[in-house]
Parts: sequence; C-alpha cells; structure tokens
Amino acid sequence: MAEIKQEPISKTKLNYIRRERTKEMRQQMVSFGLMIFLTFVAFGLVAMDMDPSFVIPIVIGMAFLQVILQFYYFMHMKDKGHEYIKLMMLTGMFFALAFVTTFIYIVWIGAPIQ
Amino acid sequence: MASATKKRGVGSVIWDYMTTVDHKKIAILYLIAGGFFFALGGIEAMLIRIQLAVPNNDFLSAGLFNEVITMHGTTMIFLAAMPLLFAFMNATVPLQIGARDVAFPFLNSLGVWLFIFGGIFLNLSWFMGGAPDAGWTSYASLSINSPGHGIDFYALGLQIAGAGTLISGINFVTTIISMRAPGMTYMRMPLMTWTTLVASVLIVFAFPPLTIGIFLLTFDRMFGSSFFLVETGGNTIIWEHLFWIFGHPEVYILILPAFGIFSEIFATFARKRLFGYSAMVFATVLIGFFGFMVWAHHMFTVGLGPTANAIFAVATMAIAVPTGIKIFNWIFTIWGGSIEFTTPMLYALAFIPSFVMGGVTGIMQAAAPADYQYHDSYFIVAHFHYVIVGGVVFGLLAGLHYYWPLMFGTMLSEKLGKISFVLFVAGFHVTFLIQHFLGLWGMPRRVFTYLDGQGYNTSNMISTVGALMMAVAVIILLINIIITVAKNQKVGRDPWGDGRTLEWSLPIPVPYYNFAQTPLIRGLDAYWIEKKENDGKMMPAESLDDFHMPNNSIIPFVISLGLFVAAFGALHFASGKEWAIDAVSDLPQHPWALWVLILGLAIVFISMGVRSWKDDLGYYVTKEEVLKDLEEQERGAK
Amino acid sequence: MANMEYNVPSERWPAHPETATLEGKNKFIGFWTFLAGETALFASLFATYLALKDSVPSDDHLLAADLFHLELAFVMTMFLLTSSLTSVYAVYHMRNNNFSKMQLWLGITVLLGLGFLALEIYEFIEYTHLGHTFRSSAFGSAFYFLIGTHGFHVCIGLVWITLLILRNAKRGLSVYTAAKVNTAALYWHFIDVVWVFIFTIVYLLGVM
Repeated sequence: MAEIKQEPISKTKLNYIRRERTKEMRQQMVSFGLMIFLTFVAFGLVAMDMDPSFVIPIVIGMAFLQVILQFYYFMHMKDKGHEYIKLMMLTGMFFALAFVTTFIYIVWIGAPIQ
Repeated sequence: MASATKKRGVGSVIWDYMTTVDHKKIAILYLIAGGFFFALGGIEAMLIRIQLAVPNNDFLSAGLFNEVITMHGTTMIFLAAMPLLFAFMNATVPLQIGARDVAFPFLNSLGVWLFIFGGIFLNLSWFMGGAPDAGWTSYASLSINSPGHGIDFYALGLQIAGAGTLISGINFVTTIISMRAPGMTYMRMPLMTWTTLVASVLIVFAFPPLTIGIFLLTFDRMFGSSFFLVETGGNTIIWEHLFWIFGHPEVYILILPAFGIFSEIFATFARKRLFGYSAMVFATVLIGFFGFMVWAHHMFTVGLGPTANAIFAVATMAIAVPTGIKIFNWIFTIWGGSIEFTTPMLYALAFIPSFVMGGVTGIMQAAAPADYQYHDSYFIVAHFHYVIVGGVVFGLLAGLHYYWPLMFGTMLSEKLGKISFVLFVAGFHVTFLIQHFLGLWGMPRRVFTYLDGQGYNTSNMISTVGALMMAVAVIILLINIIITVAKNQKVGRDPWGDGRTLEWSLPIPVPYYNFAQTPLIRGLDAYWIEKKENDGKMMPAESLDDFHMPNNSIIPFVISLGLFVAAFGALHFASGKEWAIDAVSDLPQHPWALWVLILGLAIVFISMGVRSWKDDLGYYVTKEEVLKDLEEQERGAK
Repeated sequence: MANMEYNVPSERWPAHPETATLEGKNKFIGFWTFLAGETALFASLFATYLALKDSVPSDDHLLAADLFHLELAFVMTMFLLTSSLTSVYAVYHMRNNNFSKMQLWLGITVLLGLGFLALEIYEFIEYTHLGHTFRSSAFGSAFYFLIGTHGFHVCIGLVWITLLILRNAKRGLSVYTAAKVNTAALYWHFIDVVWVFIFTIVYLLGVM
C-alpha cells in the first residue's frame, strides 16, 4: 500500500484539477449559504407562532433538504463512485422513516401521540 | 510459514491465534468458540426436554427452568448459530472472491474477540448469582422485575457480542464490495458470497436498534433511567419494537448464509450449474429487504390495532414468494443432475422438506387473527425450530462437512457422517413435529411443567426421545471430528472432485496469503470453467510480484478484554443504590463498581488511541518466498 | 516492513488521495457502511424519543415546550454548521496537498466543536436545575439519551480529530494520513446531519 502508484501529473492537468476543486468549493460555499438560510427560515417560522399543521411539514421538509445538501456537497455524494453509498444511505433513511412512523403510531393500542 | 508442520510450542500457537488477523485462523476461532457454545446450548436443550418428559416433573425448579430456556435461546442464536456462520463466511468468502484477506483484518480479529468475551460474560452468570430468566426476548415488563443480576449479564454480554457482530458485518460488506478479483462482477459472485453480502447488510441495519434497545434496558436496570418504568412515564412496548426490529432481520441473517451454503452444495454434488442464478440473487435481496418490514408480526397480540396488524400480515406473507423461488430453484438444480450422495448433500436434501414445513407454519401464523390462537403455544416453538434447526443447523452441519477439508486439510469420515445425519434428521422430526400438535392441543410454551391427564404425556415423551437422538447424533459427530483430527490424513486441492467456485482452486492447506497471483475470473463457477475449458488452473490477473499483507496485533484482544472488565463495573453499579429499581436495590453495595467501569473503558479507549497513533502499514511478501512455496506445492503434487 | 512516503510533490499527489490505495478505498466504503448503520441507530433513538416525549409521571414536571428555548439551539446549530464547513475546507486542502492549511482548518473545526459542546453542557446543567434529569421521568431519560448520544459522538469526533492533528503534525501528509483525515471529516459531517434532525424534531417541534 505504501508507494503512490501515481504517474506524474502534468502542469496543465494539475491546474485543471485545482480549478475543478475551486469550482467545487464555490458550490460548497453556496450550499453552506443555503443551509444557513434554511436554518434561519425554520427557526423563524417556529418563532412566529404560526399554525403548527402548516409549519411542521415545512420544517421537516427543510431538514431533509439541508441533509441532502450536506450529503451531496459536503460529503461528496454527488461524485462518481458513490452509487453503493447512495443505495446504503437511502435504504438506511427508508428504514429510519419506518421505525419512526411505527413508534409514533403503534407503541400503544394504536393511539397516536397527542 | 509454509512449513507449518514444524513443531511449535503451545504458547506460541496460542499467542499466534490471539494476535492473528488471518481470516482462515479467525474462522477456526469462530468454529471452536461457536462449537463450544453450541454444545452448551445443546446441554441446556437436553435439560429442558428431560424436565418436560413426564408431567409434574421436579428435575428442574421453576426458576431454574426459566434460566435454562432463556440461556438456551440466547446461546443458540447469538453465541452458536451466528458465530458458526461467521466461521464459514470467514473461511470461504475471501477465497471465493479472490482476495488475500478481508477488508479490515484488524476489525475481523476485534469481532471474534468481542464475541468470545461477550459469550463468556453472559455465561458467567451461572456462577455469579443466577442466569437471566426473562426469555431470550427479555421483554421489558419481565426483565425490569427480574431480581438479581441475571438480566444485567444478558444486557451487557449481548452488547459486547453484538458490537462484535456489527463490526464483522461492516467488514464483510466492505470486503465483498471492494476486494473482488478482476472479472468477478456482482453477477458472477457465488451464492455464498451473495448471501453473506445481504446478511451483512442486514447486520448493519438490524444491530444498531438492538444496541439501542439493550442500552435502554441497561440504563433502566443499572443507571436509574425510566424508559420502561410505567410509573414514571415509560413504555414497555418500545422494547418489543426495538427487539423485533432487530429480531426479525436476525432470523434472515441466520438463514441467508445457510441458503448460501446449500446453494453451493446443491450445485457441487448435482454437478450442475445452479438453476436460475439471477433469480436466486434477486430472491436473496428481496428477502433481505422484506425482512425489515415485518417485525410487528411478532407483536400481533400486543394490540397494535387492525390496520397495523393487516399491513404486517400481508408483508409477512409476501416473503413466502422469494423463498418459494429459492426452493424451486434448488429442486431444479438437482433435477437431472448427476447426484452424489455425500453427507453435506444429504443434509441439503433433508433441508428442503424440513424448511418448507417450517415456512408453511410461518405463513399460518402470518394470518393475524389465527395467530391469536397459536401465540405463546408449542406451535410457535415447533415452527421456529423447524426453520432454525431444519434451515440453519442443517446448513451449519452441511457446511461443516463440506468446508472441513478447506479449513483443516482433512476429510471427515463419510460413514460416521451419514450415521449422525440419519440420527439427527430423524431425531429432529421426532422432537419437533409432535410439538405442532401439542401447541394446537393447548400446551403453552415457557411453562416448566404440566399436569397429568391433559393428553400431553405421550407427546412430550416422544419429543424428549427425539431430542436424545439429536444429542447422540452430535456426539457421533464429535467422535468423527476427533478421529479425523487424530488420523490427520491430508487431502489435496479440490478434495470433493467437483468444486466449482474459486476456493477449491487453491492448494490445501491454503497459503496464508491465499493467492500467489490474483486470479482472473471468466464467469460464474470460475474454477469449473477453467476445469472444463482449460487445464484446470486459474489464469492469473497479475504478474508474480511482491504483495502487501497486514500485521498481526494484540490490540483487538485488549479492547475486548477492556469491555469485559467494564461490564463488571456496570453490572454492580446500581446494587443497593436508593435510585435503583426494586430488582437490585436491596443487593449489597459495591463502591468499587464505578472504578472498575472507568478502568475497563480506559483500557478500551487507550488501546484505540494507540491503534490510531501508530502507523500500521503491514509488510510485504516477497516474490522469492512465493516462488519457493509454489515449487514446494509442485513437488508435493508429484 | 512497508514504508510510507510523506510530503509527496504535488505532481505525484493523486487527485483523490484518500482512496488512492486499496486500504484507503476500503476505509472509505467501510466507513460509509458504518454511517448507514448509524442512521438506523439514531432512527431508533429518535423513535424512542418521539414515543416518550412529554411522558412524565405528574404535572409538576416540565414539558418540552416549557424547557426548550430556541436562541440556544440556534447558536448551537450555527456552531456545528460552520464547523462542518471548516472540515470541508480541511479536506479541500488535503486534496490540494497543502498540509499546514489542512491542519489549521482541522484545528478551527475542533474549536467550533468545543464551543458547541460547551453550550450543550450549559444547557444540560440548566435543565438539571429545573428538575429535568435523566432519572426524573421517561421524557427526561429519552431526551438525555438522544441528545447525549449525539453529544458523545461530538466528543469522540473532537478527540479523534485532535489526535489526528497531533499524530500527523510530525509526519505530514501521505495517502495513509489522507484516508484518516477524510474518514474523520465524514464522521464530523454525519454528526451535523444528525443535529439537523435534532434541532428540527426535538427543539423546533418541541416548542410548538
């Protein structure tokens, strides 16, 4: 494992890779901005004391949006070679939803929590 | 290393096994430890059957009976069946995909030691104030009220062993995803590898809920929380959900690798390509996915409401479809094959009808309204023994005979093997078939005795006789093993003569680096293809060169030991404290408990830190050494 | 013994150093698999919390709406979100073969994480004074177990990243250390992912 089996990269190739990385960094900055914005809106909606039946779905939706940004841009899930990872995380999320749903609705004689 | 026949001191052999990261040696560790716990669980089973042989028996007291049934279930599932499957997974999967070791050899070693220490901790309960007695499901309403430390041993022991299983699961997923030899595409992987992959994915998703469930129980019993204490707002149904979210996938974690072993055996001894390979793969994945969507069928009688029961009933019935696909494919594999009735093949053939019977009673129970009748009766006991013994244990015994030459370089005696096969299969049906009827006649499970004159006497006696036959079969198997080890008649490459998959292409004993050159895979049943179309030698995918292997390490053993020590601290932490639950609040106080807990965790975290701090780069096996080994094999073959 | 080449010139530094070796690739796949398992772990915790939320033995126990205040949760969120970005910077510099900047951004990540942890401890102490403890009610147990498990992950992450900064300080950058840094960064992002659901489900839905 020790030696780096890497052919020397030419100057132009190196510059290209770096430019691509900087481009990616710009995307990550934008997604960070979006995440901050989503957080502000979520806290704002709750702080404004609006109707919960309206706020709850929006807030949860925004949480998922934020997590997708985190996964795809911060954790590089959008890159190549992440197909298996997407499959695993999607499966995990699906199971997570199943667990949470049952725990909300069927922990006691079918009565949903108040 | 090639000259392993050189005499070495016992100490150096033990040290070698304690520090080994070689998947073949770890497989042997799993086999020995799992075999030991299998014997232990078997003895507990015999105690149960002796107690129930006649009405009003007082061979075991009621309390001791509860401990024995709990430990029988827990030991068999967590400490026998799963480790034994891991033994075969470790022994075969890296060889089947053409890898030199698993993806994380260090974690492989950690997994086996966590399992061994967890198992020892759980069984120490027998000598330290009583074993757990709330059933292997340990429902919270019972386990919170169980006096003494029995349940604490259950919670802590399973937590340690479970962590080991999770680690091994991650390891196998990674190995199969990333370490396949060139040409080994997903749809060329042998079924054993496929089922290991799906079972490992199930482990990754199913064990964390168990971890959380056990933590809740641990905190309630040892640290004063109130997740399950109804008087402070707790809810015991949470335990049932968490346990079965784990528990149902667990049965698929057990059965899928057994399916894998059977698929290999059918193809080998029918001397035919596995029928419907892609359908088999598809069915495996589908069973794995559905396995997660059905856990509440264990809870039909809790009162979840008709909607929930209906959803889970339908999902449960759906699993019969992919399982049926598998059964038909196995039958079609045998159909028209040139069958050789070896011991593993006999187990595989006996598996089909036995497992189908267990499956059919499963579908009966899937109908929620009918399940109200079967619930908590011997019908359930008969059902799950039909799937777990008729499926998993048959698979383990078949695998033991089939893979023995690969693991130890000798052949188990076919004659003794067939005798123990006949006794075991006959004993199995005698024991459990009658239990269906006992259940339908109303005998509840988990009772320590029954009254005379209820019509249960003869049936229970028959069941006990069957259990005795199984015990004799296992003893004959043991004798077989001892004779084989004593004789030590070595066999060579492809000992069954009909090996299809890559692992049989290797010389026996398998060199510690597995493949001198990574092989090129040209299709499903890679070795068979080379035998039919070529000279029977795998084509290399790389030139002979130095290659990299991992270092041995003692750290996995130390980490596991640390958790073992910490568990003793946690165990006594709540004894006699005023905030503790009633079950432990009047036990004597142990002021040292906290310090032992801290000491154990310190050992764990410091060893992890050391592991992280040091560079562990492994070493290189040189070309010269490999060439020398190859020459030696050449000479041995002549 | 195998050797490891440190501080490689940029011309020979792979575009994806963290997965340049088989061991690195295994680590990457294995760690994501672990994170998938963590999803199931936290799902069980969230499920338990939702089932036991506001489940207290008597009226004199405080409920979620009385306890939580949004300002603190908001500041904590900002700390953790920003630390997620700084660890992105660290990985960026790691890929660009810039060791000192990578170390710097990892250090900043640790500081922000410490800030988050300090606020969490402050919050726990405050609740304890109000009679909302791990042992006071099922609601308390579930709350502290969920938030505490997340906090424990933060602690592990902090110790891990600190250890990496220290151990790599003398060694420098290689494909071996790059894989380690990448894994730690993934872990840190995942902690942030869990926190997003915590602030939404526990705090935002809690005060409504």
